[in-house]
Amino acid sequence: MEFDFNSLFAFIIFGVTIGVVYGMVALGISLIYSGLDIVHFAHGEIYMFGAFFGLVLAKDMSIPYPAALIGAMILAGLMGMLIERVFYRRLTRSGGGYTVAGMGMIICGFGMSVALMNVAFLIWGADAEPFSIDLGMPLQIADIYIPQSYLLTAVVSFALMGLLHFFLKYTKIGLAVRAVAQNKDIAYLMGINVPVFISLIFGLACALAAAAGVLIGPMQSVQVEMGYLMLMKAFAAAVVGGFGSLPGALLGGILVGIFENLGAAYISPSHKDIYAFLLLILVLMIRPSGLFGIEAKVKA
Amino acid sequence: MLEIKNVHAGYGKLKILRGINLSVPKGKIIALLGGNGTGKSTLLKTISGLLPLMEGSIEFDGQILDKKKPHEIVKAGLVQVTQSKESYPAMTVEENLMVGSYVRNDRHGVQQDLEKIYEFFPILKTRRKTLSGTLSGGEVQMLVIGRGLMANPKMLMLDEPSAALAPKVVLEIFSNIYKISQTGVTILIVEQNVRMALLLAEYGYIIRDGVIMLEGKSDNLIHDSSVRESFLGGTVADTSRELSA
Ligand SMILES: Nc1ncnc2c1ncn2[C@@H]1O[C@H](COP(=O)(O)OP(=O)(O)O)[C@@H](O)[C@H]1O
Ligand SMILES: [Mg+2]
Repeated sequence: MEFDFNSLFAFIIFGVTIGVVYGMVALGISLIYSGLDIVHFAHGEIYMFGAFFGLVLAKDMSIPYPAALIGAMILAGLMGMLIERVFYRRLTRSGGGYTVAGMGMIICGFGMSVALMNVAFLIWGADAEPFSIDLGMPLQIADIYIPQSYLLTAVVSFALMGLLHFFLKYTKIGLAVRAVAQNKDIAYLMGINVPVFISLIFGLACALAAAAGVLIGPMQSVQVEMGYLMLMKAFAAAVVGGFGSLPGALLGGILVGIFENLGAAYISPSHKDIYAFLLLILVLMIRPSGLFGIEAKVKA
Repeated sequence: MLEIKNVHAGYGKLKILRGINLSVPKGKIIALLGGNGTGKSTLLKTISGLLPLMEGSIEFDGQILDKKKPHEIVKAGLVQVTQSKESYPAMTVEENLMVGSYVRNDRHGVQQDLEKIYEFFPILKTRRKTLSGTLSGGEVQMLVIGRGLMANPKMLMLDEPSAALAPKVVLEIFSNIYKISQTGVTILIVEQNVRMALLLAEYGYIIRDGVIMLEGKSDNLIHDSSVRESFLGGTVADTSRELSA
């Protein structure tokens, strides 16, 4: 096969695009990890619910796609806050503050994952649903055609991340979110209503996952079991970037995206899904704390 | 300003405090003294609402705090600076200070207080943009006191501000605590460094095993034989001074 720079470029662009979506889910997992001291194993299912919310809003209710995206984010955010309040809070609280989570939390996360999948199955069935939206002709850059859905995904993802960064860095509430993520006891003693902020962090993370679902939907299709693989990829992205680091999650996602697209193109397309884990293992061998990992105590 | 009546509290079922009575009048500096593990921090955690009250009552500035949450107590104007000297290491010095002002809505006042704190602790101003994780122990202590002040509290509770710091730094911090009290902030200072604390405070309480063992004017406590025996007599400095006298 003759080496073709155009197609290399295309693979990288596709990798980055899918990568920022991984990054968005990974960012949520990182946020929850900082905020609640738990690794949220049901986050893939939140992503799946988000995709279905988007599908219902855009197709069944004929709401314009951008509005469906925002609607799905809000719905998933509220759903996340409800799950945190009803199921997780008891567990995160027991054992002195929110710090000691332990085995109960892991089991609870897996249980939630299975429960959510079954709920989705009851509502929407097992079939894969196409989520087609008409965005017009693919865009042509030089000799490469990029579907509009990819472009849209990249633009929306980067915009959402930029917004989140601005929120965390430059607003008073964002500062309080970071304070809660870094040290709950001290945040409490500075007058921050910590439980409310924990809910907010969880809701935010779920809204990001939903955005990822609605963006991926038109590229693939929407299906009850779609969460599992996304969780694994996002998890790999979070670890590659350094668990708990927010910029790390995004960059980790992009790396995973590029790596798996190049692997599929130049090594073997039928093993696409293992490249993420190959990268994960590589990074862990070279830098166990992740590429952007900071010391375990210093989070967010 | 702060009235603590017959307070019993502890961790879960484990009772540490057994009937504490303590009073901090407005505008004064009061010291709570005692050795390691006697219940000083436990009392501050209880006052701040981090630990539930088993018995007794706490009143601050005309409000009953018994059932209040930590953030409500901060809003009432009572702020604690913990003994752990924890800043937010991944935030800059200035961001740390701004977290302290979370309960306030007066932007102008916040800006003024920021300047005031930079005057108290000039080193914080020169390092305002650096991550607080890189500060020295003394600088972090200044930062967390400053962060507490940013809430514009009526009363500040300081848990062992001198612990693990060099004598010169301790002196600087104590002189700043005095200056802070001169601006009208009521202060409860918890210390194991009894001599320094009694120089600063007007009145002191000595706690042992969760009960107040002794209380009185600082002058009287310094000369009290049991205080000298348990806290003051043992230090090398004291012994050498007495030998030379
Ligand atoms: N989180 C905790 N759980 C159980 N016991 C504790 C806890 N923290 C402190 N204690 C116990 O409470 C007692 C008083 O501790 P503390 O108030 O921290 O003492 P100090 O006077 O040194 O501040 C000690 O015996 C300590 O072992
Ligand atoms: Mg203590």
